[in-house]
Amino acid sequence: MLFNDYPFLLGFLPAAILIYRFADPHPSWRIPVLVLLSAVFYAWWNPPFVALLVLSIAFNWLAALAYLRTKRASIITIAILVNLAVLAGFKYTNFISANIGLLLDRPMPQFDITLPLGISFFTFHHIMYLVDLRRGKAPSYPLGHYALYISFFPQALAGPLVRWSEVMSQFGRKVYQPGWPRDFCIGICFIAIGLFEKTFLADRIGRIIDPIYAQAAQGPLSNGDAWLALSFSFQILFDFSGYSDIAIGLGLLFGIRLPFNFNAPMRATNIQDFWQRWHITLMNFLRDYLFQPMVNTRLRFLPRRLFAVQYFGALLLTMVLCGLWHGASWTFVLWGAIHGSALVVCSLWRRYGPRLPALIGWALTVMLVIVTGVIFRAGTLEAAWNIFSGLDVAPRLERGRHLGPLFIVPLVAFLLPSSQDIIARLARKPRPWLAAMLGIGILVLLIELGEQHAYEFAYYRF
Amino acid sequence: MSSLTTDSEDDIGWKRCLVAGASAFGISALLLFAMLVLVDPYDSGRGWLGIDGVDDRNTYTSAASRARDPQFDAAIIGNSTAQPLNPADLSRATGLRFVQLYLTGGSPREQLAVLDFFLRHHPRVGALVFVTDPFWCQHRRAETRPGDFPYWIYGTNSFAYAARLMSREGIEHAFQRIAIGLDMRKRKRVDGFYSYEDVWLPGSFRDLNPPRDPAPALSAAERDFFPEIAELDAAVKKLPVDVPVVIAVPPTLATTVARSGTVAAQEREACDAALAKIVAGRPRSNFLNYRIDNAQTRDRVNFADFIHYRESLAGKIVSGVAESLRLGNAAKVAF
Repeated sequence: MLFNDYPFLLGFLPAAILIYRFADPHPSWRIPVLVLLSAVFYAWWNPPFVALLVLSIAFNWLAALAYLRTKRASIITIAILVNLAVLAGFKYTNFISANIGLLLDRPMPQFDITLPLGISFFTFHHIMYLVDLRRGKAPSYPLGHYALYISFFPQALAGPLVRWSEVMSQFGRKVYQPGWPRDFCIGICFIAIGLFEKTFLADRIGRIIDPIYAQAAQGPLSNGDAWLALSFSFQILFDFSGYSDIAIGLGLLFGIRLPFNFNAPMRATNIQDFWQRWHITLMNFLRDYLFQPMVNTRLRFLPRRLFAVQYFGALLLTMVLCGLWHGASWTFVLWGAIHGSALVVCSLWRRYGPRLPALIGWALTVMLVIVTGVIFRAGTLEAAWNIFSGLDVAPRLERGRHLGPLFIVPLVAFLLPSSQDIIARLARKPRPWLAAMLGIGILVLLIELGEQHAYEFAYYRF
Repeated sequence: MSSLTTDSEDDIGWKRCLVAGASAFGISALLLFAMLVLVDPYDSGRGWLGIDGVDDRNTYTSAASRARDPQFDAAIIGNSTAQPLNPADLSRATGLRFVQLYLTGGSPREQLAVLDFFLRHHPRVGALVFVTDPFWCQHRRAETRPGDFPYWIYGTNSFAYAARLMSREGIEHAFQRIAIGLDMRKRKRVDGFYSYEDVWLPGSFRDLNPPRDPAPALSAAERDFFPEIAELDAAVKKLPVDVPVVIAVPPTLATTVARSGTVAAQEREACDAALAKIVAGRPRSNFLNYRIDNAQTRDRVNFADFIHYRESLAGKIVSGVAESLRLGNAAKVAF
């Protein structure tokens, strides 16, 4: 079930709202009902993997319980290693096997492994809680709360990555209390804007460039289409920010405020600024649970005056791992390494270099994001090279209006504020006429959704 | 359900917003749906406004309008390999009123759906002509991607039809039909003839579209079993005995004709025999096999690609079909 298909929007979602409406007056029902609805949502895709989700929840909750009883830090370490091992088993087995094969110069077996939906995200949720538990920052929670934290359907598959501290206190609260109509209106606004981003912006670009990337995987591009492939970064921006906005909106319909994930990243004036605006919750996770521990660890072999080496090394490594988290491919590693290097250069420039005009900083940032987007999307280094080498042929623009999305969507990314800022402006006070227009807009969106085979959200793959 | 909360003034305002949004959604959906039902975007005969015809090049969606048109009593059914047969020529030669119901790239199952629709709207049928490309000779039912062909337009379930109207395509078609009704737009040619030679200009040949010949049968029993032909046979058997039926196997470039004695030739013979059996014994009916190796099929000038023949051959096929509709299998067919 996708957020942008009819079974979800016209079936599951209305049913879930109705069911929860009946559960809401009964405090003891609220969390179990949401957990059950989340399990149904997850099972729709692949029922057997619900068992993995349930096992994962039970294992980590029991590990937390055992730690609180014994205070043995090794329990947390083992639990985190098990989580990472399961993630690696599903996600990286073939990648590791293929690369060992390359090293040994002999074919290695490749396995037919289905990646459980959302495993990268729920693994990180477990890690956030377990690490904070060991740091003494997190309390213990009943199983129901913990199960909902991991499985809450709006964010279970592709985020936003939510800290336990951001949502645990919201679980079990009464939804239908004063203020709920406003939350509902805002939630529906987020869902509508998210569907618009996905359907009218991201998918429109996807339809143009998907065949180009397929062609690049087969061989060189010599017809000028390589230029069109550069627009991938705008596709993934609106694909993922669309998904995140829908998730935030859905959360509000069930009384949960999820954190924002994007803040108009294409308006960033340097790469550091960009990473504070793009996939914000992942960056916060990487900063707090990977980068900072690496920076704060005292390395005996490294003199304190060379701390900058450790700092920038940690920065680079964080971004490389960020790349690898997105997928088991060297293209992701290269993408992460380039962004890590750019962050290092940006950091040094800001300290030692002259101040760049914002416009130049913005142009450099956008160019970097666009170029590295090709590496991110291409799948293989050869395909990425085929795109880049195809740029020596001028683009064919005679297709006119068919290429419209490639001009319009970047303008939207450059000129419009973030969706939360737009909604904050719209929701200053209740305006029924605006709500009526939104109702008609949602009808248009639903009609448009019926026209196409639903495009999966890109981050479901990660 | 009783209210669970005490409404503040602010909440009342936001509740009005919810009501306004839901009402606008519901009312506009209802009005749009009513318009679509009245207009009948695909001219499937379910509308209320009495607008005739469509302005639609997509044969999958436009065939319904022609297939139910009462001014025709005979039909040419097939895919693009039937397209060059001009129904006007056939009408002139036979005195019947032919409509062209080809489906571009249409599978046998899709063609059968159109046949069924045509028969439901024509209590009296003058004649039927089927152009059966090699797709009919598959031993296993061909898989088609769900959603490609709008079976719901041609089916009998009006609710299933109504449920699919709310789409961008449905709305576009509805406005096209309204424009036709207001004389602001012309409907497409009534008899459905559209020559692909307007696009594939004479004198050019493209090395494209090899015939979709079936994979060899896995057993002797399977060789004589053609599920799509069996369905066509059943459909023809339901027709009154005096309805003439002509089945024509379209020509392909000679290089794609199976050589005698090969497995492919045996497969072809088995398929031809099954097709011929459908019309055997039926008055003024015939099976015509144009997929042969001769001087005309060896000449690339007569083809746009491997399977799409040009008007030079189409004229001969029309003559053969017309002669068959007059004399049945006694017709002398020159090719």
